[in-house]
Amino acid sequence: MMSEKSLIPLFVARTLRRLLPLLVLGLVLSALIALPLYSDARVSSFSINNSLQNAASLGLLALGVGLTMIIGEFDLSSLGVYAIGGMIAVKYGADFPVVGLLLAMLLAVMVGGVQGWIIARTGVSSVPLTLGGYIIVLGTSHLVSDSQTLAYANYDVGIWLDSVFGGILSPRIAIVVGIFLLTGAFMKWTRMGREIRAVGGDRRASRASGVQVDRIIIGVFIASACLSALGGGLFALSTAAAKPDLGLAPFIFAVTAALLGGVSLAGGRGGGMGILMGVVSLSLLETLFSLLGTPVYMVNLIRGALLMIVVVIEAPDLRRSLVTLRNATAVR
Amino acid sequence: MTQASQTLQTAGRRWAGVAGIVFIALFVAAVAADTPGFLSTQNFRAILGTTTFVGLIAVGMTVIMISGSFVSMSLGTLATVTAIFFIYALKFGVGAAILSTLALGAMLGLVQGFLIGAWGANPIIVTIAAGALLEGASVALTGGQALSPPDNTYAFLNATPYGIPVGTFVLLLLVVVVEFLLRRTRPGREVYMLGESRAAARAAALSLGEIGCWVFMLAGVSAALAGIFLGSFNHGASLLLNRGTLNYDAIAATLIGGTAIAGGRGSVWRTLLGVILIATITNLVLLRGYSFGAQIFFKGVLMTAFVLIIHLRSQRGR
Repeated sequence: MMSEKSLIPLFVARTLRRLLPLLVLGLVLSALIALPLYSDARVSSFSINNSLQNAASLGLLALGVGLTMIIGEFDLSSLGVYAIGGMIAVKYGADFPVVGLLLAMLLAVMVGGVQGWIIARTGVSSVPLTLGGYIIVLGTSHLVSDSQTLAYANYDVGIWLDSVFGGILSPRIAIVVGIFLLTGAFMKWTRMGREIRAVGGDRRASRASGVQVDRIIIGVFIASACLSALGGGLFALSTAAAKPDLGLAPFIFAVTAALLGGVSLAGGRGGGMGILMGVVSLSLLETLFSLLGTPVYMVNLIRGALLMIVVVIEAPDLRRSLVTLRNATAVR
Repeated sequence: MTQASQTLQTAGRRWAGVAGIVFIALFVAAVAADTPGFLSTQNFRAILGTTTFVGLIAVGMTVIMISGSFVSMSLGTLATVTAIFFIYALKFGVGAAILSTLALGAMLGLVQGFLIGAWGANPIIVTIAAGALLEGASVALTGGQALSPPDNTYAFLNATPYGIPVGTFVLLLLVVVVEFLLRRTRPGREVYMLGESRAAARAAALSLGEIGCWVFMLAGVSAALAGIFLGSFNHGASLLLNRGTLNYDAIAATLIGGTAIAGGRGSVWRTLLGVILIATITNLVLLRGYSFGAQIFFKGVLMTAFVLIIHLRSQRGR
C-alpha cells in the first residue's frame, strides 16, 4: 500500500485545523466590515443582532449534532427532535413556557436515551438507526399537531426572549451562548470531556484503557437530543409558532456549522467553542448575503454548495488521491 | 462448533427471516381483508402506482446500499427535479425528453458517485447537500412555478395495457436488468466487493471512483425514470411532488428487502417485495383513515425494526 505522505507537514496541518474556525470567522467578519468597499450596503448593530438571533435558533442543534460527530456517530433524529421540541414547548407551555421546554427536553431524554442505548449495546450504525428514529419522531410531531402549524398565544415570551440589550444581544442569545460556554468548558477541562473525544478517536483503545464507552455514547445521544429540543423550543417560542416538519434546512446549517467549527466526521476532534464559532460564522455569512440582496434561492444554493465543499475537504481519500496525482506528475 | 451445526444455524436464521416476512405479509393480508374498499380493481391500480414510483427509486437505493454508501438522502428530490426537467423538455418531442431526462439523471448521479466513491466523502452529507443544490437550482430555473406539459404526446406513459400501468412494466424490466448487471457482470460483482470492504476493494486494485460513478449513475437513471412517470402521471411537475415520503419509502423498502445496511449483500428483486409491502401498507393506512402522521410513524417503526433485525442477524452470523 502507498505510504501516507502528506502534502503539508503534519504539524502545519494540525495547526491549520485547530485555527480553521477562527480563520473562517475572521474571513467572514472582514468581508462584513469591508462591505461598503464593494457594495452600497453596510452593517448595522440591528443586522448583527438579527444574525445572532439566527445563530441562537440553530446553534444548539449544531452543538448537539457536533457532539455526536465528535464521538464518531451521527444523529439524524436531532432534526426531528428540534421540530417536535418546538411543537411541545408551544403546545404545553401556554401558561408556563419553562414547563413546555422541560417537557420537550423530557421527551428528548427518552428519544436520545433509547437510541443511544441501542447503538451502544448492539453496535448498529447510527445513521440508519437515527434515520428510523427521525421518521418516527417526525410522525409523532405530525400526530401531536395534527399536521398543522401551531400558534403560540403568549407573545410576551417571544418578545422578551428576543428583546435587544447591549446593542446586539438578547436573552435567547445569552442563554444559547451560555450553554455553549458551559459545554466548551466541560469538553476542555473535565475528564469526561477528554473521554468523549477519546471515544471518537479510537473506541477500542479507550475501552481498553477503562473508559465507560457505552455510558459516554448514551450520554452524548441524550445530550444531543436535549440540546436539539431546547433549541427548537426556544426558536418556536420566539417566533410564536411551531411547524411539524421543518425540512432538512436546519440540519444542513447545523452540519455545515459543526464542520466549519473544526469537528471532524471521522470523530475525535472538536469542541464547544469551535462549533460556536462555526455557527456564528455561518450565520454572519448568511447575513452578508441578505445585506447584498441575494435572492432566497441563491442563499439555498450557497448553503448546499458550502456543505458540499466542507464535506469534500473532509473526505478521507481526497488527500490520498492528491498525493497519487502529485506522484504521477512528478514521475512524468 | 462443528461445521454441520453451523450450517444448520445459518439455515435456521434464514428460515427465521423468511418466517418473519411471511408473518408480516399474513398480518397485512388479514388487515387488508378487513378493510372495505381494498379488494377493488381501482384500488389495486392505486397500489401499483405507488409501487411504481417508490420501486423505481428503491432500485437505485438498493444498489447504493449494496455498494456500502448507506443511503441517498435525495433520490426523491432527484426524481422530482428530473420530473420538472422532463415536463420542460417535452417541447422538444417526447423521445428527446425521455432520453435527455435519463441522461440528466445519470449525470447528476455520476457527480455524487465520484465524490463518494473516489474520495470517500460521507454519502449522507453529500446527498443532503446535493438535494439542497438541486432544489435551489430548480427554483432558480423555474422561478418556483409549476410546469405544465405543452401537449399530450406523453399520454402513452400513462397507458394501462392488460390493466397494468406502463410504469410497472418498466419497473419490472429495470429490476431484471439491474439484477442481471449486479450478478452477472464484472462491475456488478465489484459493487458487492466494495460494499463488503472498502479497504479490501482498494487492496484488490479496484477503481473505487469508477464503481462509485457506476452505482450512482444507475441510481440517477432509476430516479429519472421515476421522475418521467411522476411528471406524466401528474400532468405537470413542481418541487411539491416531493412533499410526500418518496425517499423514505424507498429506503424502508430496501431495508425490508433485506439489503445489508453496511453493504455487500442485497438483491433488487427482494427490494421489490419490500416496495409492494410498503405500498400496500401506505394504501391500507389511507383506506382506514389514519392521519398522515400515523402513516409516517408506522413506517418509521417498521424501518427501525428492520434496521435492528438485520443488524442483529448479521452480528450473530460472524
